[in-house]
Amino acid sequence: MTIALLSGLLIGILFGFALQRGRFCMNSAIRDTILMKDNTLLKSVGIAVLVQMFGFPLLSWAGLITLNPKPLFWGAILVGGIAFGIGMVLAGGCASGVTYRVGEGVVAALSAVIGLAAAGTITAMGFLKPIKDYLQTNTKIAIGDGLSPTLANIFGLPYEVTALLLALVLGAIWLVVALKNKEDDEEPKASLKDRIFVKGWGWLPTGIAIGIVGILAYWTSASAGRNYPLAITSGWITFVKKYIVAVPDVKIGWDAWLIVGIIVGALIASLIAGEFKVRWPGWGTILQTLFGGLLMGFGAVTAAGCNVTHILSGLPQLSIGSLLASISIALGAWLMAWLIFVRPQNEK
Amino acid sequence: MTTPTKTLDVCGKICPYPDMDTMTTLKKMEKGEVLEVLLDYPLSVERIPRNLKKQKHKLLEVEKLNGPNHRMLIEAHGLKE
Repeated sequence: MTIALLSGLLIGILFGFALQRGRFCMNSAIRDTILMKDNTLLKSVGIAVLVQMFGFPLLSWAGLITLNPKPLFWGAILVGGIAFGIGMVLAGGCASGVTYRVGEGVVAALSAVIGLAAAGTITAMGFLKPIKDYLQTNTKIAIGDGLSPTLANIFGLPYEVTALLLALVLGAIWLVVALKNKEDDEEPKASLKDRIFVKGWGWLPTGIAIGIVGILAYWTSASAGRNYPLAITSGWITFVKKYIVAVPDVKIGWDAWLIVGIIVGALIASLIAGEFKVRWPGWGTILQTLFGGLLMGFGAVTAAGCNVTHILSGLPQLSIGSLLASISIALGAWLMAWLIFVRPQNEK
Repeated sequence: MTTPTKTLDVCGKICPYPDMDTMTTLKKMEKGEVLEVLLDYPLSVERIPRNLKKQKHKLLEVEKLNGPNHRMLIEAHGLKE
């Protein structure tokens, strides 16, 4: 294991720690807007995206990363994104959410990641591969010499300036709206140590922490020769390829070490906070989250990315494919949440 | 000490069942009845009190037990009527 790969593990530990402390899950973030009329976690996601929208252009200017926005194959992204959104509601967590909860001792999250890894591998190299390939090849829209369209290059603008300006404008709008609707959050009375290690983090520190982890991740991952930001599914697939399918020459790379780190980080965080517990939910839930995980795995590989790749890492790169994927994931999640949670309530 | 009218054990349940089960149970209860919820999902321990305010149910007590286990006492608002 080289120093470069060790950075994947370290970034993973930081990421897992922040995910566990902030209860950061994009499934809850998206689903709760319709289910509980609660936007708390969605605000965290927004902050994390904004922070990276400031950070990525600076890294790019410094020559530390090369931008790598996701392609726009709209058919694959729509099908994959909606399947992923439906899957994550059934699995009770997004790709990063179920990964960190394994470290908290949630057995239902473990069955979800098994589904994610299995279906991800089958879609990447097994019998579902033709569906993915067909959709990705036949619905691809590229500009110029095969470039992935972004909100900058479709107007012929440079990425760095566009991203920074957009981040400033969005940040300013947010600030104005936030000041107008000032919520009186009750400040938790606790020592700084307790607020970091024992109590759950608020949405703002969580969003900032995840954003900073995302920036560090892109930088260190690029230094390790993987010019790519945070991602979850690819790491899980690596383990299946190497240890289950036994594909020759598969290396445990930066993204796979990231996964190990996330679980270790969440384990450390939950042990310190006294929140670790092996939670057995019953076989019905295990089957539900396994099925949800399978849909997520198929969706993530078909759309060339899960919630982390498209929302957390793709939006700050201004990729139009990622924008469409984010919308598709939300649509799938809202559809499923409405079907299994909202509708049964209204009927009673 | 308040004696609960009903007890709901949502330990081990995944997101968002601890919240959903709590809210649907409260909906069916009469005004003033007390629900005891046993839960071990950290996000719900923080999210349920936020949502109770919107539904006008009254959170009487949150007690931290071993590890992530918590016990909540909630007075129903009586939405049934």
